Amino acid sequence: MRPACLPPQNLLMGGGVRFDAAVVRRYDVPGPRYTSYPTALQFSEAIGEADYLKAARASNDDPIPRPLSIYVHVPFCTSPCFYCGCTRVITRDRTAGARYLSRLQREIELQARLFDRDRTVDQLHFGGGTPTFLSDAELAELMRYMRHSFSLRDDSRREFSIEVDPRTVDDARLGAIAAEGFNRISLGVQDFDLEVQKAVNRIQPREDVLAVMTAARRHGFQSISVDLIYGLPRQTEEGFAHTLDQVIAARPDRVAAYSYAHLPQTFKAQTQIKTEHLCPPEVKLALLGITIDKLTAAGYIYIGMDHFALPDDELSIALADGSLQRNFQGYSTRAGLDLVGLGMSAIGQVCDLYVQNHRLLDDWAAALDSGHLPIWRGYRLTHEDRIRRAAIRALMCRGELDLQKFGERYNVDFSSHFAAELANLEPLEKDGLLEIGAGRLTVTPLGRLLVRAIAMQFDAHLNQDSDSGKRRFSRIV
Amino acid sequence: MPLWLGGFQLSGTASPSPLNLYELRRSCSSCSLAELCLPMGLGIGDIQRLEQLVAPRGPVNEGDHLFRIGDPLRVLYAVRGGFFKSYMVEANGREQVLGFHLPGELIGLDAIWPEKHQCNAVALNTASVCELPYGQITDLGRQIPGLQHSMLRLMSKELAISHALAGDFSAEERVAGFLVSLSSRMKARGHSETNLMLAMSRRDIANYLRLATETVSRVFSRFEENGLVSVDRREVTLLDLDKLGKTGSCFAGVA
Repeated sequence: MRPACLPPQNLLMGGGVRFDAAVVRRYDVPGPRYTSYPTALQFSEAIGEADYLKAARASNDDPIPRPLSIYVHVPFCTSPCFYCGCTRVITRDRTAGARYLSRLQREIELQARLFDRDRTVDQLHFGGGTPTFLSDAELAELMRYMRHSFSLRDDSRREFSIEVDPRTVDDARLGAIAAEGFNRISLGVQDFDLEVQKAVNRIQPREDVLAVMTAARRHGFQSISVDLIYGLPRQTEEGFAHTLDQVIAARPDRVAAYSYAHLPQTFKAQTQIKTEHLCPPEVKLALLGITIDKLTAAGYIYIGMDHFALPDDELSIALADGSLQRNFQGYSTRAGLDLVGLGMSAIGQVCDLYVQNHRLLDDWAAALDSGHLPIWRGYRLTHEDRIRRAAIRALMCRGELDLQKFGERYNVDFSSHFAAELANLEPLEKDGLLEIGAGRLTVTPLGRLLVRAIAMQFDAHLNQDSDSGKRRFSRIV
Repeated sequence: MPLWLGGFQLSGTASPSPLNLYELRRSCSSCSLAELCLPMGLGIGDIQRLEQLVAPRGPVNEGDHLFRIGDPLRVLYAVRGGFFKSYMVEANGREQVLGFHLPGELIGLDAIWPEKHQCNAVALNTASVCELPYGQITDLGRQIPGLQHSMLRLMSKELAISHALAGDFSAEERVAGFLVSLSSRMKARGHSETNLMLAMSRRDIANYLRLATETVSRVFSRFEENGLVSVDRREVTLLDLDKLGKTGSCFAGVA
């Protein structure tokens, strides 16, 4: 049951976002992205396979069991992109894919038996690494096994997406991917500027990427998403503006513009990036400003965080009608799905339980070889976590929170329950990030860009964490 | 840890723990369920005689059985908190759900003849019960006609339900009837009649209503599409009790 939707004027007017460099600079602090609440930092090895088995079986017992969303992690890449912070395995050994698949089939088998067959898979996402590291034949085999084990939806309501490295596909491959039922793709573009591409070790000519987009349209993909990154080494305002112009001309349905987080202590590949090549903070900020200006001027709607979409895209429609959701893949249109994570490091969520698979290939494989689900750690939400998660979601997905309705839904008096949080929000209100009043919190177009800073006020775990914990999060810009 | 009381999940820190409830409801005369349970219609003197036989017991953990098929009839159970399910196991190993039991309801009546339990009774969540020693209760029943009547009333209700289940009703009528019946039983216990937290699984509901599991879910979905209910996991909000009542009337009247 979701709260009644509210007039989303603050969300849609003028693209729904306002950029003010001075305010953004002030709130550019490290913070979680809230693809989950609590964040994965809270996950503990005290949660394991037994907890998941129980939660998964119990999820079949609801009067209307939730449909499933499946995430499949394919960790392999043939060469390292230096900016990458994903869990991945660099290899040129093509047989790694086949070995991985045989374990993945075992995992599918163990997972599929937990869920009743009348629970359809409405959402499927292949991420990586590089899902297209797998050959067409391997991908077909994997999908055949998925269809054999789960009830994959085959009508237009399905959302089957795959991350595609434009360097790994051609027209024929896209046709093969579409034939397997995928109807959305996201393309890693980052920047068309050759100097930037060299500096991050990912060279992909613009013409090739645009050809992939054209081919994807021809093969009937309903939604094409392009990922960009600002703040990469050697990036310039002029070069990135040019990239944006070319991306906009190709009219992808969605654009995600991520901020590059330089955390070389955490992500080893990033040590390859020369610090002197990184763009200075004021340039990075300017890049964000240009991104917002160009995309909104071209008619894209600001969905939230790093995401933009055309007005007729499902994400924009979901934003307008209040049904927008946030999940591990960012923003989504589907509410209330139980999430099954497959593959190394994948995260799942069933009811109030988060679980994450082993993030080392050997550990993941060893668990499966001994007949166990490869669950590494997890977290069980408390009642208080659920309330806070709902508050954070309302702010991040609807930009608005009705105190009365929220209180009724969660059986709390919002103003007293969150008295400290409301007091902490006052300086943010003074800076124009949100409005507190008339029984509701409303995120302003200025605050939407910095919504993490607002959400962080409701994060009970963040305040308990040490400063070193906070440093593990990326900055907002 | 959520506290289940009469099938309702209470939240917040101020709620009493099951153990405190146990302390509070030690006797029939102070029990808030007395009006629904065996003491219904009895004078205070008779209730005091009855309560001397009653032994509160609890808590019963989720999945714990009160008795199984073939166990000798020793005591009857009055539910004080939580939900129970009674079920048979057929020769082919299939389970048949006979009923769901709420606070204030009696379990074990089917064992009166031949003084052996004819079904299993299991707690669907953390629950508590009062034990009524069968022999002593029947002895007392000879002295207090009201008590005997009370037992007959409770038995007759169970018969009516099993007749209704055997009747020719559509899936919609059955599910609507089930919800309306649960709603009115909750209301009688001082709970919300529109916000139900289902302690039983859809499999159990389907089995009880003699429907396929998928059918129960489809009917719930249809009800949701038509604005009759809204469903969030086990939490069912009845949005149009009137319409549900009309749909399920032939079935709900008895249950």
